[in-house]
Amino acid sequence: MRRLFANRLAIVTGAVVILMSVLFALARVNA
Amino acid sequence: MVGHAGRGAVWVVVYLLFILAPLFALLAGSLPPARDFWTEFAIAIGYSGLAMMGLQFGLTARFRYVTAPWGEDVIYHFHRQISQIAVGLVVAHALIMSATYPEMFALPGAIGEVPLGAVFAFMSIFALIALVVTALWRVQLNIRYETWHLTHIALAVIAVAAGMAHMVGWAFYLSDPWKRALWIGLTIFWIGLLLYVRIFKPLFMLRRPYRVREVRKERGDTSTLVMQPDGHPGFRISPGQFGWLTLWASPFKITGHPFSFSGSAEVADGRVEMSIRNLGDFTSAIHKVPVGQRVYLDGPYGAFTIGNPADMHVLIAGGVGVTPMMSMIRTLADRGDKRPVILLYGSKDWESITFREELEALKARLNLDVIHVLANPPTGWTGEQGFISAEVFKRHLPPPYADHEYFICGPGVMMDAIEKTLGELGVPLTKYHSERYSFV
Repeated sequence: MRRLFANRLAIVTGAVVILMSVLFALARVNA
Repeated sequence: MVGHAGRGAVWVVVYLLFILAPLFALLAGSLPPARDFWTEFAIAIGYSGLAMMGLQFGLTARFRYVTAPWGEDVIYHFHRQISQIAVGLVVAHALIMSATYPEMFALPGAIGEVPLGAVFAFMSIFALIALVVTALWRVQLNIRYETWHLTHIALAVIAVAAGMAHMVGWAFYLSDPWKRALWIGLTIFWIGLLLYVRIFKPLFMLRRPYRVREVRKERGDTSTLVMQPDGHPGFRISPGQFGWLTLWASPFKITGHPFSFSGSAEVADGRVEMSIRNLGDFTSAIHKVPVGQRVYLDGPYGAFTIGNPADMHVLIAGGVGVTPMMSMIRTLADRGDKRPVILLYGSKDWESITFREELEALKARLNLDVIHVLANPPTGWTGEQGFISAEVFKRHLPPPYADHEYFICGPGVMMDAIEKTLGELGVPLTKYHSERYSFV
């Protein structure tokens, strides 16, 4: 369960980073 | 974990800031002309993937403030999982760039024509892939732990340094001197974290050695090392914590091994004990350690400690997983704590039960119940046999199960099974704590 928690934390962190990278790209393209 | 939830959340935000702030800083100041969405996205994941890789040095730097809300095992597991995501981002960066600009990836006429930025990119990606492959399949690849650890560090430094050289070499976003300084500074900071663990901490340990005072033979092919601080007051442990032991070598060598402390936390002279089972590797020489031997200890670490208010402590141990429990039980006895404690203790057979006699004696000083579960019981055995299961729980624990505080330590398979059982019994995640033997 604790490992599952660590897995989820890693997936959420990865998802936030990817989302922010999309925002970065959109900010550049639409600037 | 419950009491630490706030601090844990703060560290997640700090972690994300360390990755995303340097990325969004690239949008300030003078900017290169914007290109298509996929190129810009690929660049963003390239930068953030590298930042994630760099921060790995922070995750493994054993900062007590950072690891305390989670426990060392969660941090190491996160380190392993997030590295796969980071490598995925870096590889995706390369794939998107090669699909968008195939001409950049055309084979040059001569080796000398390959731009330096590309050479570093390949170096970084190959190092990253080698890192992940050797970490995920170290055992299958038959790589010794110590060899792997050294290679792991070398590959990580190559991956991060070459990644940075690739970015600076290409200079698309890093043409502003302050942005270049920011990212180079970050890289120096990441590698500084590594130097902190590998140089500054060992220097500190070198000045605070321990001496082996006694080597005690225990049941179950286990030996207890009693270690006394040599010329310093030592550190204070919480029962259930662990430390990294360096034996037969200087603390600069990458030979530290994690072991739980098994002695009471209430000793006044800084003395600590580690009970180590012979598992055939480095542990097979423990019983031969001479009294007076100089050793080095890095610790204490871990969030696997008693202290939360609970109606009852349920300690579940498999084999040598009893060592942190022993520290808890001895400490509770020294503190005169009369709260009920149940130890569910799985062993191979009756003769190999480590601390069997002492546990029996400790019952007189505590409200302690010990349930032995034997895989190979002797003839005439009327106690529990096989493995610790839901039925064993139901026979020995009073409901409601969710009111007790659970501590589990043992082989991975056993812990997976027990965590599943506790889930079925309706015990919430916040009520149980587990510690796994191996980080790698």
